[in-house]
Amino acid sequence: MTSIALNEGAQRRGIDLSWPTFALLTVVLSILVILPLFWLIYYSFRSDAGGGATLDNFAALVTDPALVRAYALAIGMALGVGALACLVATPMAWLVARTDLPGRRHIRMLVTASFVTPPFLGAIAYEIIAAPNSGIVNIIYRYVFGLEPGAYLVNIYTFTGLVFAIACFTFPYVFTLVANALDRVPADLEDASSILGGRALTTLRKVTIPMVLPAILAGTLIAVLQALTMFGSPAILALPAGFHVITTKIWSLFQFPPRLGLAAASALPLLVITMLLLRAQKSILGRRGYTVLGGKSGTPRLTSLGPWKWAAMAFVYGVLCLTIFFPYAALIKTAFTVTVGDPINFDTLTLRHWNFVLFDFSATRMALYNTILLGFLTATVVTAIALVVSYLAIRKTIPGAKYLGFLATAPVAIPGIVLGVGLFLSYANPTFQLYGTLWILLIAFMTIELPAGYQQMSSAFAGVHPELEEAGRILGASRLRTLWEITAPLLRTSVVASWCFVFVGTIRELSATILLTTANTKLVSVIIYDLNESGDLGAICVLGILLLVASFAVVFAANRVPVLGGAQMNARG
Amino acid sequence: MSFLELDGLAKSYGNLTVVKNVNLSVDKGKLVCLLGPSGCGKTTTLRLIAGFVPANAGSIRVGGQTVSSAHSTVPPEARNMSMIFQSYALWPHMTVFQNVAYGLKLRKVPAIETAARVRTILAATQLTPLEDRYPGELSGGQQQRVSLARALVVKPEILLLDEPLSNLDANLREEMRFEIRRLHDEFRYTTVYVTHDQVEAMTTADIIVVMNDGRIEQAGSPEDIYQRPQTEFVARFIGGTNILKGQKGAGDVVVCDGDIKLRCASGEFAAQGQTAVSIRHHDIRLSEKKPTSVDMNWATGTVSRQIYLGSHRDYLVSLTGGETVRTIAPVDVAIPVGQQVWLNFPPDSCRALAQ
Repeated sequence: MTSIALNEGAQRRGIDLSWPTFALLTVVLSILVILPLFWLIYYSFRSDAGGGATLDNFAALVTDPALVRAYALAIGMALGVGALACLVATPMAWLVARTDLPGRRHIRMLVTASFVTPPFLGAIAYEIIAAPNSGIVNIIYRYVFGLEPGAYLVNIYTFTGLVFAIACFTFPYVFTLVANALDRVPADLEDASSILGGRALTTLRKVTIPMVLPAILAGTLIAVLQALTMFGSPAILALPAGFHVITTKIWSLFQFPPRLGLAAASALPLLVITMLLLRAQKSILGRRGYTVLGGKSGTPRLTSLGPWKWAAMAFVYGVLCLTIFFPYAALIKTAFTVTVGDPINFDTLTLRHWNFVLFDFSATRMALYNTILLGFLTATVVTAIALVVSYLAIRKTIPGAKYLGFLATAPVAIPGIVLGVGLFLSYANPTFQLYGTLWILLIAFMTIELPAGYQQMSSAFAGVHPELEEAGRILGASRLRTLWEITAPLLRTSVVASWCFVFVGTIRELSATILLTTANTKLVSVIIYDLNESGDLGAICVLGILLLVASFAVVFAANRVPVLGGAQMNARG
Repeated sequence: MSFLELDGLAKSYGNLTVVKNVNLSVDKGKLVCLLGPSGCGKTTTLRLIAGFVPANAGSIRVGGQTVSSAHSTVPPEARNMSMIFQSYALWPHMTVFQNVAYGLKLRKVPAIETAARVRTILAATQLTPLEDRYPGELSGGQQQRVSLARALVVKPEILLLDEPLSNLDANLREEMRFEIRRLHDEFRYTTVYVTHDQVEAMTTADIIVVMNDGRIEQAGSPEDIYQRPQTEFVARFIGGTNILKGQKGAGDVVVCDGDIKLRCASGEFAAQGQTAVSIRHHDIRLSEKKPTSVDMNWATGTVSRQIYLGSHRDYLVSLTGGETVRTIAPVDVAIPVGQQVWLNFPPDSCRALAQ
């Protein structure tokens, strides 16, 4: 009796690969996500001195003034960044989305493109612009007013300078969220307010702003989170200023003599804060009836700026100068002149930094090779895993596939530096001996990028109506054939986009990399950080430009891949 | 033996049973409509037939072969059926021609024959000039035709349609109803058609199967379903009706609430307990004058609403017993609200319903 039932069960499934695939992915993702967290918690209870179980590491979080100060400064910095980003981005988003500001479409594209700038490169650009001695602004200031060599106008190596420099490169998060939310506020809601007698400003205050408030809050939280968990910019700007934030403090605990237990314990609150912030953000954006509105109401109506146009333009272009034009100009100038302070003329123009980076300095070529290799591997592996996981999770072919989706999303709550600590503790031990190889970096990047890849692929899958696949099945195509001939072509655009996204994210990663890299596994981002310590700004700028060119080249190439036209994609007509 | 047989079919999701013990036989070449309100299990039944969902109990047989049972499910691709989806499910990355040819490609039909068959079916569905377009470039009605052509070209053993007209506007829907019936008369595929629209079912079906709460309430020809409903649900769902509740009296008389005695020419009487009487809106006769005998098949009440609708007037009458009945009268019968009227329920139009 039992054997008959078994036979029939086997016959029903035929050769079904979904169960083995599911099991394999569950194991892989569990290892990626859970193992580092396990060792992180284990070490946080382990004494650095003797190795026994202890609570000293957690006690130090409260009693060690250096740690408390690092946390306080980090939180203060993050809140400052959030406030500044919100104050700049919200009016700018409104001007770009809902007024007749000239060139608003290009402004929007520029801000979106500035996502590609790695924040640490922005910090270096501001070193070039606003360092107290060698900063371009201060050189010009002294020259114009004929001042002493020690005098300066601005100093980026301060707490304020740090907040400013980070806000410049996190405000796009707030800007993009708010601008998109403003796009979705249907015009008829505002019309309803007008017809009842609300004037333009009243309508803006009582209807439009409250409708996008969730987006403003959510964007600000993301900016806060980014600033809090960032390693590069604080390491470049806060260390010369003589203070630590928590990420740099954790990193310093890895310097000789390493205090791994304390590092693990210091990383845990960061993990908890990140989870809380993400939860808050989700619950704010989750009240969908309030922000996202369906509806057939046409294009959002634009406010005419009238005489305020010039003030608005000055504001917007001022912001663009500070966040995009000046930093990029500084990077390019430094890459092509002998020293930072040189005026630009034919005597100072040089390609020596390029020569140094590309030919003389052996470390950079290895780093470039490693970076590109890891970028390709990570992007390919993550996209492949994300594709399969989202197929299983969205199409619900297997009970429990939801758990897989959860695992793939979970790393979003693990800040890079925390993951770096966890991975170091997991794989740098004698069992695995992965420390010092590219494998540990690949594991780190896969874990970091998996949520982004999964999010993109699962929303792409959700966009392919299941009936499109069922139509293939009922006409006689097997499940695999349907996947290959129908689902895959429809997902191609999203797969390419997701691949690019992961690639660009990987080659700029620094927070986790800094703890996992060794002399043999340097990456471009780490080399940039090292060169900054030795003050070689020209070489840094060359490398930074190479990173940016690689990023833009990939995005550009992806847009050129012959993909499906918009008209054809609209199956519902 | 019928071509398609559902035998004691059941499907549940967790504790929720959506299809309960469904038995149905469909002869070859017939068009069967599964008709019912949303959530009645009709779409699940269709998906069970297609093989997209496995059954929990019972079986489905096609031509005597079991394709679904509680133990095994033949996958949809091995059933030689085809289906028209609510969303049409046209593949946006293929042209009209490629969409229609896909099923033939899977069946390894030679290219020349494929082209000939696709062109024939495109001509039959009036799509010939559009064969190189992509689905996104077609109107809703054209997409619907492509979907029909794609399903018909493979000569399926069974054709399944899942609310195929629900995305079309009213005019197009009417046109496509006749189109579907015309194509069925031309090709004669055994067809199962799911809809919640009774006019659609009346227009297209040989047999209408009315479903409610996962069960079949009644199956029969459109005339059967409309003229001889067996349950209160069917009488109400098809065509709309007045239901008066009462007890069986002497012979074929039902004594309804308010002491209205109705002689019923047809139907089933419950030996004990409640019997309902169904009478269609247009079968009730309205009179301003008191008739000579009001003993049998008469009731009185006051007009509570009257609407002029051009071709007729629509009345709501509150009976003295408390019930409200709806009736229609010719345009020249204009009775103001509040006036007393007498209603005649002709015995031939009264149908007793035991359940």
